Amino acid sequence: MNPKIGVYICHCGTNIAATVDVEEVVDFISKQPNVTVARNYLFMCSQPGQDMIQRDIEKWKLDRVVVAACSPQMHELTFRRACEEGGLNRYLFQMANIREHCSWIHDDRAQATEKARAIVNAAVRRVAWQEPLEVSHVKINPHTMVVGGGIAGIHAALEIAESGNHVYLVEKESTIGGHMAQFDKTFPTLDCAACILTPKMVSVGHRKNIHLLTLSEVEKVKGFVGNFTVTVRTKARYVNDKCTVCGACVKACPVEVPSWFDEMQGKRTAIYKAFPQAVPNIFVIDKEEIPPCIEACPIRQEAAGYVALIRDKKFKEAAQLIRLRNPLPEVCGRVCYHPCETECNRGYVDQPLAIQHLKRFALDWARKNKVEIKPPKIEKREEKVAIIGSGPAGLACAHDLAVKGYQVSVFERHSTLGGMLALGIPAYRLPRNLLNEEIEYLEKLGIAFRTNVSLGKTTNLEQLKRQGYKAVFLAIGAYSGVSLGVKGEDSNGVYYGVGFLRRVNLGIRTPLGKKVAVIGGGNTALDAARTALRLGAERVAILYRRTRAEMPASPLEIEDAEAEGVAIHYLIAPTKITRTSPVSLQMTCVNMELGEPDASGRRRPIPVPGSEHNLEFDNIIVAISQRPEMEVLSDQNGKPLFAITPWGTLQVDQDSLVTNLEGVFAGGDVVLGPSTVIASMGLGRRAAESIDKFLNRQPLVNFKTHMPKPIVPRGETFRPHRYSPMYKDLPRQKRIEMRKLDPDKRAKDFSEVELGFSVEEALQEASRCLNCGVCVECLECVKVCDPGAIEHDMSDSVQEIQVGQMLLATGFDLFDAQVMSQYGHGKLDNVLSSLEFERMLSATGGTGGKILCQNGKPPRAIAIIHCVGSRDENHHKYCSRVCCMYSLKYAHLVKDRTQAEVYQFYIDMRAYGKGFEEFYKRVLHEGSNIIRGKVAEVVESGWSNKEEGHLIVRCEDTLIGKFREIPVDMVILCNALEPRQDAARMRQLFSISLSPDGFFLERHPKLDPTATMTDGVFIAGCCQGPKDIPDTVAQAASAAARILAFIQKAEVELDPIVAQVQEELCSGCRMCNSVCPYLAISFDEEKKVSVINQALCKGCGTCVATCPANAIIGKGFTNQQIFSEIEGVLV
Amino acid sequence: MKYLYYPGCSLESQAKAYDLSLRAVFKLLGEELLEIQDWNCCGATAYMSVKETVAFSISARNLAIAESMGGEVVAPCSSCFTILNKTNRYLKEEPALRSLVNQALQSGGLEYKGGVVIRHPLDVLVNDVGVEVIKMHTQRDLAGLKIAPYYGCQLVRPERGFDDREFPTTMDDLFSELGGKIVYFPVKVRCCGGMLMSTFNEVGLKLTKEILECAQENQADVIVTTCPMCHFNLEAYQKQINRKFGTNFQTPIWYFTQLLGWTLGASDEELGLKYNFINLPKEKLGRALEAV
Repeated sequence: MNPKIGVYICHCGTNIAATVDVEEVVDFISKQPNVTVARNYLFMCSQPGQDMIQRDIEKWKLDRVVVAACSPQMHELTFRRACEEGGLNRYLFQMANIREHCSWIHDDRAQATEKARAIVNAAVRRVAWQEPLEVSHVKINPHTMVVGGGIAGIHAALEIAESGNHVYLVEKESTIGGHMAQFDKTFPTLDCAACILTPKMVSVGHRKNIHLLTLSEVEKVKGFVGNFTVTVRTKARYVNDKCTVCGACVKACPVEVPSWFDEMQGKRTAIYKAFPQAVPNIFVIDKEEIPPCIEACPIRQEAAGYVALIRDKKFKEAAQLIRLRNPLPEVCGRVCYHPCETECNRGYVDQPLAIQHLKRFALDWARKNKVEIKPPKIEKREEKVAIIGSGPAGLACAHDLAVKGYQVSVFERHSTLGGMLALGIPAYRLPRNLLNEEIEYLEKLGIAFRTNVSLGKTTNLEQLKRQGYKAVFLAIGAYSGVSLGVKGEDSNGVYYGVGFLRRVNLGIRTPLGKKVAVIGGGNTALDAARTALRLGAERVAILYRRTRAEMPASPLEIEDAEAEGVAIHYLIAPTKITRTSPVSLQMTCVNMELGEPDASGRRRPIPVPGSEHNLEFDNIIVAISQRPEMEVLSDQNGKPLFAITPWGTLQVDQDSLVTNLEGVFAGGDVVLGPSTVIASMGLGRRAAESIDKFLNRQPLVNFKTHMPKPIVPRGETFRPHRYSPMYKDLPRQKRIEMRKLDPDKRAKDFSEVELGFSVEEALQEASRCLNCGVCVECLECVKVCDPGAIEHDMSDSVQEIQVGQMLLATGFDLFDAQVMSQYGHGKLDNVLSSLEFERMLSATGGTGGKILCQNGKPPRAIAIIHCVGSRDENHHKYCSRVCCMYSLKYAHLVKDRTQAEVYQFYIDMRAYGKGFEEFYKRVLHEGSNIIRGKVAEVVESGWSNKEEGHLIVRCEDTLIGKFREIPVDMVILCNALEPRQDAARMRQLFSISLSPDGFFLERHPKLDPTATMTDGVFIAGCCQGPKDIPDTVAQAASAAARILAFIQKAEVELDPIVAQVQEELCSGCRMCNSVCPYLAISFDEEKKVSVINQALCKGCGTCVATCPANAIIGKGFTNQQIFSEIEGVLV
Repeated sequence: MKYLYYPGCSLESQAKAYDLSLRAVFKLLGEELLEIQDWNCCGATAYMSVKETVAFSISARNLAIAESMGGEVVAPCSSCFTILNKTNRYLKEEPALRSLVNQALQSGGLEYKGGVVIRHPLDVLVNDVGVEVIKMHTQRDLAGLKIAPYYGCQLVRPERGFDDREFPTTMDDLFSELGGKIVYFPVKVRCCGGMLMSTFNEVGLKLTKEILECAQENQADVIVTTCPMCHFNLEAYQKQINRKFGTNFQTPIWYFTQLLGWTLGASDEELGLKYNFINLPKEKLGRALEAV
C-alpha cells in the first residue's frame, strides 16, 4: 500500500529547537519512503500549526499524519482532533515525542538530532500500518455519588442537585460538616465557620434529590464511567428518625468517652450527637462491638449494662434491667457458671469482673428495699403449649411463651418445682425461698404448674394432644446416673450422685454413715460431698481419676469443699466394690497415671500395675456423669420414640430444636447432656421462639434469639474500645473477693455459704468495668425516650447504588505532633495542636470559647509555632498552605479575648490570597511578636518540677541573630495537613493514583486539577492537596461543573485503543481472564470464548501478551505497528 | 558475643577512670572485653572538614581490624561512638567512598566490607547483659543516692540508637533498679558545650552551668555521665563557673561505670576514684548489701 504521510516537526519555541536541529530532521524525513510532505513550525499546537495540517490534508490528500513535538500526554488529543476536523480519522495520526524523550534530556546537539531522526522515522514507519478506528459511546447514568461530607462534598452536592439530578452523599461519620465544622472563625474575613456552613448543611438535609448516607462507607466499586455500581455499607445508628433530639438519653447514659469532634479534649456519652448543629439532627449510639460478656451469655443478658448502672448507684434500675431479659435472675446470681466472666476483657488487665456477684447484689438490694418488679403487659392468645419439666430450660421457655401470650402449662413429675435447681443444687448454694420467689413471679405471668405428673406414666404425648396442647417442649433433664461399670456397684449403700441429692432435697430419709467416698470430679460430686458433710458424715473423701487440673468442677467449689474438710484424692479409681459387713463397704482401688490425651482433650488415665489397694467406707456415692432417662423417651415396649444421639441424649435440629416428632421440641440437659443452668435457659429461650414460629405457621428459619458466637482471644496490646489505653497500660486493681461463712462453722447446716457484696464492695468492683465497645446496653436511654426512637437491635445495612460519576472529597488528617517529641505535645500541659485550639476557641467547645490554661487561668503569653511537620525533611516536605493564615487568625483572636502576649515563630510568611495581605498587616498592627526562626524545643520552665511553672520556647531569632528563650503559658502548634490514613485503600477502591506525597493525583496540575486519570472519578478539596476553604469550594464547583457537563451530554466517548478477542482463534483457555487488572475480560459459556468489555478495557496489552494462541489483538498496537516502529528506530 | 573494646584516646589519658571502671565492670559481670589490636584515632577531629576521604580512611582502619577480629565494637566515648557509626554508615551508603577508602586500607593489608556494629557500653550492659543479671551480681545498694543521669547530646543523637532521642531512660532505669533515686533532670540531653569550652569559652561555661544548676536545684548528690568530654566540662570548670556566675557548685561527677562498678563491689582503685576531682562522701554512697 502507498500511504501519503505528512510529517510536522515542532520547534516548541526553543524547547526542542535549541537542542535538536529541526531543519535537519525535516530534511532527513522528507527523503523517506511514503513521506509526501515534511514541514517544521514554531508551535504546532497553535492555530496556524493546526491549520497547516488541515490544509495539507486537503491539498495533498494525505491519509496519515505524524507530528513530532511534546508528549502525547500533552497534545495527542489536540492533534487527533485537528486531523479529524481536517477530514482524516483521528487514529491515523501518530505523535513522536522529541521533547520529553529527547531535547529536554540531552545536551549534545548532534546526538540529540540523531536521536530525533530515529524517533520520527519510527513514527513514520508505524503510522503507515495504522487503521482507522471508531470511537464508541456509552450512556451516562445521571446519578452522582459524592464521597465525603465536608465543605467540598456539601458544596458539590448542592451544585449538582440544583440541576435536579440525584446525588448520593456518603459520609463516614454520624454527621456531615467535616473539619470545617470544628473551626471557630475563618480567615481572612473572620466569618464564623458554623454560620457559613450550617445553612448549607441544612440545605443538604432538606433537598429531596440529595440522598444523605451518614455512618456510611464505600465497600466496593464496580463498573466504568457512566455505569458504576457502588456497594455502600451503612453502620447501624441505633436511633431512628422519630428522635426529637430532646437529650434525655444523654442525661441517662452512664458511659463517657473522649469526644473525637473536640479532638479528644472533651467527653461525650455513648449516645450522643457529634455537635449541636449536626445533620442529620439525630442522636447516634457508639457501639463499637458487643461487649464480650453480653456475647458470651446464652440468654444475652446485658451484663455490662447492669454493672454500669450499679457503678452509678442505680441499683433499682440494675435489678429491673436484669429481670427484663432473665427469667431466673436470683438463680443465676448464685449458681450460674458465668461464661460472661470467662470472656470479660478485664481478664487481660488483672482479673475478670465479678459479674455474677454484682448481679446477686442488685437483686438482694432490690429485695431488701422492696422494689417491686411488675410483670409486663401481656396480650393473651388462645394456643396452649405444654412444657414437660420445670427445670431451667422448661422455666425459661415457659416465661418467654407466657410473655408472648400463650397458655402455658408446666408439668413436673416431682412434687417440688425447679428441676435440678430444687433437686440437685444444694440449698447452701441456692436458698429455697429464692427459688420459690422465682416461681411465684412466673405464676404471675399466667403459667400453670402441675406437679406429680409424669410423662409416660400419668400422661403421654397423645393425651396432651387430645387436651388441646398445640406444641410440647421436652425439658426432662438428665437424671440417670452413669454407672462405673465395676462389680458390686449395685450393693446397698452405694448411691448415685443425682439420686442422692434428689432424695436429700425432697426430704426423703437418706441413711449415711460416718465415712463416705464420692467418686467423680464434677459439680455433682462436689455437691454430693459437701451435702454428705452437712448430713453428719465425719470423713468425706472425693476420689478422682485424673488430677486437679482436669477436674471439671468450678475451682472455687473445690476450694470451698476443701475448706470445709473434704479430702480430695487424685489419680485413683475403683475397680470393685464388696460388702464386708452390714455397715461397711470395701472399695478396691488402683492408682492412675496420665497418658496420651483422649477425645475430650484431657490426658487419659492409665492404671498403674500392681497398685491395687483396699479402702473402707460406710457409703459410696458415684457421681461420674448423668444421662437422660431412656424409659421416659420410649414407649411401653421400650422402643425409643425419638432419635437418640450416640451419647444418649435426645437428637434435635440445632437451630429450631425440633425433634423428629412434629410439634415436639426439646432442650436443656436432655439435649445437651449434663450441662449448665444458663445453657439450658438459652435453649429454652430458643425453643420459645421456635414454638412461636411453629404456631404461627412460619418456617423454622432465621432465628433471632441469641446463640453465643466463639470469641476470638485478644492480646494485651488490644484495647477495650478505641478511646481506652491498651490492656497492658491500664492500672491493675484487685478483684473483690466474696465473703463466705466461716468454713469450720458452715458445714453444720444448709445455710447459704456466700454472704453477698456490701454496697462499698459492689461499687468498687463495678468501677473496674472497662465499658468494652463503649455502649454497655444498660437500656436507660430506651426508658427515657418518649418517642421510642432507640432500637438497640438495629443492624448494618448494605446497598448497591448505580451512579454515573463519582466525586471524592474525603479531606485531610492532621499530622500527629507527638511524633516531634521536642515540642512536648501529649507530654506537657498547655501544648495544643491547631484543631485542639480551634475547639477551645469555639463556642461549642469545652471552655465555651474562652482561652484558658489547664489550671483554669487565662494565659499571659502564647506561642504559635509554624510548620510543625510541614516543610520538614523528616516528615512532610510540602507546605500545608493554610497555617500561616490561621496563625494570624489565632493571634488576632487571642488579642481579642485575652491580655496575652503573642509570639509567632515562622520560616516564611505566606499570605498570598485575596485579602490575606491586608489581614497580615492588621494583625501586625495589633502587636503580635513575629519571630523568624524554627523552634528547637518547648520545655518546662524552672529546673525543679516542684513549682507550677510555665513553658519556655527555645529558638533562634534569625533576623537579629540571637538565641532566645521565651516564657509562655501556652503553645499552639500548626500541624501539617496530611492525606487521610486510608488514602491507599481509597485509591485502590476507585482505581486512581496517589501523588508522591500521598494525596490523590489529579489529571493535570494546572489544566485539570479536579479530574483523575480514571474517567468518571473526580477529586476536590484537601484530598487533592492542602488548601483553604475558598480554594476547596472552587474545586468542588469545578468538579460539579464537569460532572454536570457529562450528565448534560448524557454520553461519553470511549477510547477504541482496546484489546479485542478474535473469536475464531480463541481456544477458551481463559488465561487472559485472570490477568486483566481492570477485570474487563469474562468468559462466554455458550460460545466458549473469552470476551473483552470494551468500556472497561484500558488497552494495557497484558492480555495480548498473555494469550498463548495470539488470539487477542491490541487495537492501535498491533504487532505490525510495533515491529515497524522498532525498525524505524534501528534503520 | 565477643565484645571488641575501642577505648579511644581520652580513655588512655584524661578519662583513665572511665577505662579502669569499664574494664572492672565487664570483668565483674563475667563478660570478655578484647581490646582491638593496634587501634588508632577514631577521626572525631576537625580533620573531617579538611580532608574528608583521608579522615574516613583513618577511622575505617579501626573498623577493618575489628571486622577481621569478629565481634561487636564497644566504644565508651560518645564522640568515638558517633564518629565510628558515622564512618560505618557513610561507607555502607556510598560505594564510591567505600572503594576509595578500601584502596587506602589496602596499602595496610586491610579491607573493610561493612559488617561491623558499634555499640555503646551502656547499651551493651543494660540491653545485652540485662538489669536482672546485674542485680544478681550486686554487692552494694545505692540506698536512695540522688542521681542526675546526664546523657549528653551525642549518645542518642544523631543516629537512631538504643534509646529515645529526647527523653532517654536507660541510665534512669538502671540506677533506680540498683536502689538510686533519679532526680528530675530535664537537661539530661542538653549540650555541655563540648569543644566550645576551649574555643568559645563564654558559651561553654554558660551551657555547663545550666546543667550543674539543674542538678543542684533538684538536690542531686552526683551527676553520672557517659562521655569523657562532658565529664571534663562538668567537673573541671566548676571553679571557673562559680567565679563567673557567683554560684557554689561542688558537684561530684562520676562515670556511669564507676557508679555501676561500685554497686558490683569493685574497689576504689579498680574504679579510678582517685581521678575524680570532687569527692562524693562515702556515707552518701549507700551501703553494702547483706551477704546472701
